[in-house]
Amino acid sequence: MSNLVVLPIIIPLLAGVIVALFNKKVAVTRTLTKLFSILNLGVAAYLSWIVFTTDSIILETGEWVAPYGIILVADPLASLLVLTTNIVAVACAFYAPHSLSLRQETHYFYAFYFFLITGVSGAFLTGDLFNLFVFFEVLLMASYALIVLGGERIQLRESIKYVLINLFSSILFVTAVAFIYGAVGTVNMAQIAERVQIQGQDGVLTTVAILLFFVFATKAALFPLYYWMPKSYIVPNTVVSALFGALLTKVGIYSILRVFSLIFVHKLELTHETFIWIAGLSMLFGVIGALSTNNIKLIIAYNIIPAIGFILMGLGVFNQDGMSGSVYYLVHDMIIKTALFLIVGVIAYVAGTSDLRKMGGLIHYYPGLGWLLFVAAFVLAGIPPFSGFIGKLLLLQGTLSEYEVVITIIALISSLLILYSVMKIFIRGFWGEKDETGKYEKKSTKGLIGPIVYLLAFSIFLGVGAEWIVPSVESISTYLLDPEIYIESVLKE
Amino acid sequence: MEIIISILAGVLITTGIYNLLQKQFLRIVIGTVLLSHGAHLFILTMGKLKRGQPPILTDGVTDYTDPLPQALILTSIVISFGITSLLLVLAYRTARENNTDNMEELRGTENE
Amino acid sequence: MLIAVLIPLIFAIIVPYLSKFKQKVHTGIFVFFIPFSIFLYFIRFVGSDFEPVRQTYNWIPSLGINFDFYLDGLSLLFVLLISGIGSLVVLYSVYYLHVSERLGHFYLYLLMFMTAMLGVVLSDNVFVLYTFWELTSISSFLLIGYWHYRERSRYGAQKSMLITVFGGLSMLGGLVLLSNITGTTSIQAMIAQVDVILANDYLPLIMAFILLGAFTKSAQFPFHIWLPDAMEAPTPVSAYLHSATMVKAGIFLIARFSPIFSGYEWFFIVVSIVGIVTLCWASYMAVRQTDLKGILAFSTISQLGMIMAMLGFGTGAAVFAAVFHILNHATFKGSLFMIAGIIDHETGTRDIRKLGGLFTFMPMTGILAIFGTFSMAGIPLPFLNGFYSKEAFFASTLELESTGNAIASFLVEAIPYLAVFGSIFTFVYSMYLFFGVFTGPAKLDKLKTKPHEAPIGMLVSPFILVLGVIVIGLFPNLFNGTFLIHAAEAVNSTVELEKLKFWHGFITPLFMSLAVVGIGIVFYLTRQKWSNIYHVLPGKLSFNKVYDYIIKKLDDVSAKITDSYMTGSLKTYMTIILATILVVTTFFMVVTGGFTISTDNLAEVTFIEIAVVLVITIAAIATIFTNSKLGAILITGVVGYGVATLFVIYRAPDLALTQLVIETVSVALFLLCFYHLPKLRKRTEKASTKLGNAVISIGFGALMTIIAISAHSTDWFEPISNYFIETSYKLGGGHNIVNVILVDMRGLDTLFEITVLGIAALAIVSLIKLRHDKEAK
Repeated sequence: MSNLVVLPIIIPLLAGVIVALFNKKVAVTRTLTKLFSILNLGVAAYLSWIVFTTDSIILETGEWVAPYGIILVADPLASLLVLTTNIVAVACAFYAPHSLSLRQETHYFYAFYFFLITGVSGAFLTGDLFNLFVFFEVLLMASYALIVLGGERIQLRESIKYVLINLFSSILFVTAVAFIYGAVGTVNMAQIAERVQIQGQDGVLTTVAILLFFVFATKAALFPLYYWMPKSYIVPNTVVSALFGALLTKVGIYSILRVFSLIFVHKLELTHETFIWIAGLSMLFGVIGALSTNNIKLIIAYNIIPAIGFILMGLGVFNQDGMSGSVYYLVHDMIIKTALFLIVGVIAYVAGTSDLRKMGGLIHYYPGLGWLLFVAAFVLAGIPPFSGFIGKLLLLQGTLSEYEVVITIIALISSLLILYSVMKIFIRGFWGEKDETGKYEKKSTKGLIGPIVYLLAFSIFLGVGAEWIVPSVESISTYLLDPEIYIESVLKE
Repeated sequence: MEIIISILAGVLITTGIYNLLQKQFLRIVIGTVLLSHGAHLFILTMGKLKRGQPPILTDGVTDYTDPLPQALILTSIVISFGITSLLLVLAYRTARENNTDNMEELRGTENE
Repeated sequence: MLIAVLIPLIFAIIVPYLSKFKQKVHTGIFVFFIPFSIFLYFIRFVGSDFEPVRQTYNWIPSLGINFDFYLDGLSLLFVLLISGIGSLVVLYSVYYLHVSERLGHFYLYLLMFMTAMLGVVLSDNVFVLYTFWELTSISSFLLIGYWHYRERSRYGAQKSMLITVFGGLSMLGGLVLLSNITGTTSIQAMIAQVDVILANDYLPLIMAFILLGAFTKSAQFPFHIWLPDAMEAPTPVSAYLHSATMVKAGIFLIARFSPIFSGYEWFFIVVSIVGIVTLCWASYMAVRQTDLKGILAFSTISQLGMIMAMLGFGTGAAVFAAVFHILNHATFKGSLFMIAGIIDHETGTRDIRKLGGLFTFMPMTGILAIFGTFSMAGIPLPFLNGFYSKEAFFASTLELESTGNAIASFLVEAIPYLAVFGSIFTFVYSMYLFFGVFTGPAKLDKLKTKPHEAPIGMLVSPFILVLGVIVIGLFPNLFNGTFLIHAAEAVNSTVELEKLKFWHGFITPLFMSLAVVGIGIVFYLTRQKWSNIYHVLPGKLSFNKVYDYIIKKLDDVSAKITDSYMTGSLKTYMTIILATILVVTTFFMVVTGGFTISTDNLAEVTFIEIAVVLVITIAAIATIFTNSKLGAILITGVVGYGVATLFVIYRAPDLALTQLVIETVSVALFLLCFYHLPKLRKRTEKASTKLGNAVISIGFGALMTIIAISAHSTDWFEPISNYFIETSYKLGGGHNIVNVILVDMRGLDTLFEITVLGIAALAIVSLIKLRHDKEAK
């Protein structure tokens, strides 16, 4: 039974190797990719179902007991996120063949895609801090490969910055792990948590915690460490941007959520209070960035930052509602960011430009696409009854029950500006006079719309059908607020 | 000695970062190499230095150096190598495509 | 009730299909039956023995979000307005909108709005209310942007959305606070806990949040600016959303929360001031408009201000008058909007400067307009409902009592005068509207088409509304006991049923009305002479300009801010990142007293180690200063070999071996890649830049060293590695502990470390293949 945990990591790994072998036969790799993605989604769904209906599953790899061997922990949070990852991944698998050029496909796109999923799932599931570093490297290495795919001049230009900044933060990660090992003599997360608890997070521990926070914050694109993100996310192909937007920064914020709810929770007034400020600044600077540009892809890329801010805000207040809100928002944002990247990808494709100033009246040619964008904008801004609202409501309940008024007002204003930044695309790009010059002769959007509809359906379901999800998310929140559960389930002494 | 090695690792980090803040690719890449050396030394120091024999079981020896940091470093070295290789090729390709190896000329502020 | 609320939305889904037959049957005819049947469904609740009805349907019970419908007098008033005026508007639209328009879209939005608005007034659950509230904003946005190929429509739609969604979000903040404090999501349950709310320290904030929501939606000063631009919507929409229903959602919200806030004196102060200022400002502004719908828009704003003010007064009489005026306003303003639409339809313009003398061409329309405008002006005639509510308004301004607060006392004195002031302008624009359009010389040369009477179907809806004006005017008590009193009671439980009479004797309110009419006539006749005042106020100081300025600045300033740091320069990015980590981490270290150093348990220092350390240090520093490509690479190699030597000294044979191999390969790779690249240049940066770089890198290195020393100076726990030493052979079957850890205990690390290498190899292949592909092209 517990071997089930490793499947969401191993299946994409094997799939990656297999599609790399069949690289030349594009038709085969496409089909295999779709099949494996769906298979993995099924496995992830089954895993989540088991975890939510029974209990966390812990796999001690190689039969080495915790804390000595590496363990994989499929707790409710991890399995929910693995499931979401695969939901997103399936959409991208179906979108990719219609969006990529043949050249990009034969340059191992599908292999890298699977390796990325491997790394992301591994990062969610591992219970070992150093192993987390290794999975980070897997997903980063895959992302380095994906970002240069196609090898355009600007792509290379942005990717080298991307690689360097991530490389730096990886090195800092290893160093921070070293410090933790020096201080508490272990790299198993549950045992670190236990030992930090015994020591009351004394001495150098909080300093190391903050160092680790910055490592993850760089990956999560939080203020003021997100500089690498917006431009490097828009240079690769749309489907790559979507994968990045949905997964990479989310792994960063997940790690923050995990580490600062499990391990470093004994100096809340210092650490978590700081998070609230960082969250607020991320929201503000994120939306300012989103408003600053006319590049539709960049608008969406900047919108990643406030979303991460929202998630961090819930962790900052560290109460039941706040944490539920963070988890809900995390899941919501993974889905809607993918959808939005895919949408703007189609828009840029049919309009022949990413520059909003050169668009107008698209709705006369692509009404369906316009309405998808319209709905997605409201989902993103947290307008009910869509998924963003439930997350935001929980977050607001969390902040306001602590009377954190300033951050609440920032969050509300950000929501408005997020809506404005995306609706700008609708108002200026889709509304307007019908262009009769034939600039937009009808292009085929075959195969591109389906994945978007599929993702938006999830977003709507997460809002309208929230009753099916909220209790699970609240149980995750309860679970996260009580690190003992995790520690005991892993160490079982 | 741990303190001295910590300082040495600090020096490697310092020189690494200084190089990272330069313009030319070669210096930047060298910076990252120095940084990873620094990180590895930090890991090594954390396992205490020179306490006992090399971690290879030998009859009659009970005192061994902490093996875990060594295992971690080994993993890290291999990963660093992978990234460095990729970075080198990437730097080469970027320099070729953009006709410059100066990072400051790769800003690209225009809205593409 | 759930069905009643949702049926428009459900029907909306099939409307686009119905619109396929629009050439045969106008889609509006199908749609008409929806609001009309809702109207019939709810009208049966009217009666003197009315009792509130509650129905609950679960939605998200774990968050306390349920369809909790609560039909009390106030909701009933609004429901009937929404469905009643809705039916008439749909009927009117059948003649107003030509079948060549996108009827499917139009009715879809309109039905969506209907559901939303019904939901707002029927929801007892605050979050469901918020859901519907935002849905009204969205549907209003779509309806304003219906003719989105027009620049003004897009502008108006965006403006209305930004302002009303802003208010909605603010309201959400207030609602969350309220539900947090009271532990319930039901408004009625909140009202039961009014003491708890009034005792809360954050009461001012809660009220500010909620009021912002209400003021933006009901276009209160200074948020009124979106409503005139919303007139870009088709006229039926203006009549419906932007006059009769949606803009009254804010009024509804204030009325709904009155039982909670009325115990708080700032509620009176803020709502009264905002209401009365809106009344005065908007009626003053209405006179200057030239667009018929512009006049009506400002008129609506001002009337909403008047209702708002009465709710602010909060006395029984004021609340009753407010409720009464909600009904009256819907009748006369609805008819006037439709008339404006007819004029637009038949003459091709809404510009009052091009109109005149239309009475001879459109007598029916003219007669209807007389009732509408005169009722709006509050002219004391027994068959105009506007007069009764206007007089009740005046009466309520006179009854105010101060709570002792200085501002409140001042308000009590000033409000009657302001009320008269605002009403004078109301009179002026009403007269201007009627006489300017229907009397005087006809300017047919300025019209595109020759005006003629509207088709009878188009006149039906305004006729029914005017009939309402007259019936209520003649029998003002017709709905009192059965209907209005229940609505007023829901707002203020102390309301008493009073008989409305036309003639009360010579009392102050009558003199106020007469003053309004008298001065109004003078102002109307002399308006050419004093209209220059508009150059002084608002002149350049218009709130529209403030809005435009903010929107422009949002784009400009954000671009400026973002461009200032998103320079694309890796160095800038790295500098900011490093500086942040350095400063914040140091701060935390100092605050938590993180630094410890212990020299108890250290390895001894030997000469050979020091020598190696020195070599590495010198080599590392030399990488900065060398200007030779080859030199730099080789020196880096020296560092690597030095580290390998340290590994040997520190009893890590595997590491040393690996390091040696990898270092050698790396150096080779370096040479391979950089062989073709330009030579190293001298570093030419300024001394200050050098200093900055040096400070950051030394600071960072020092910080890392200090943390490292502190971390290994702790002696809290035994490392877990003893286990590995013990079990390496027994369980792992290997003598080399590091190897056993790598392949067994931490086998997962190794597996994925290899994966990383594999991906890297594949990525490199892909990069190189790419070049070949490109060159092949």
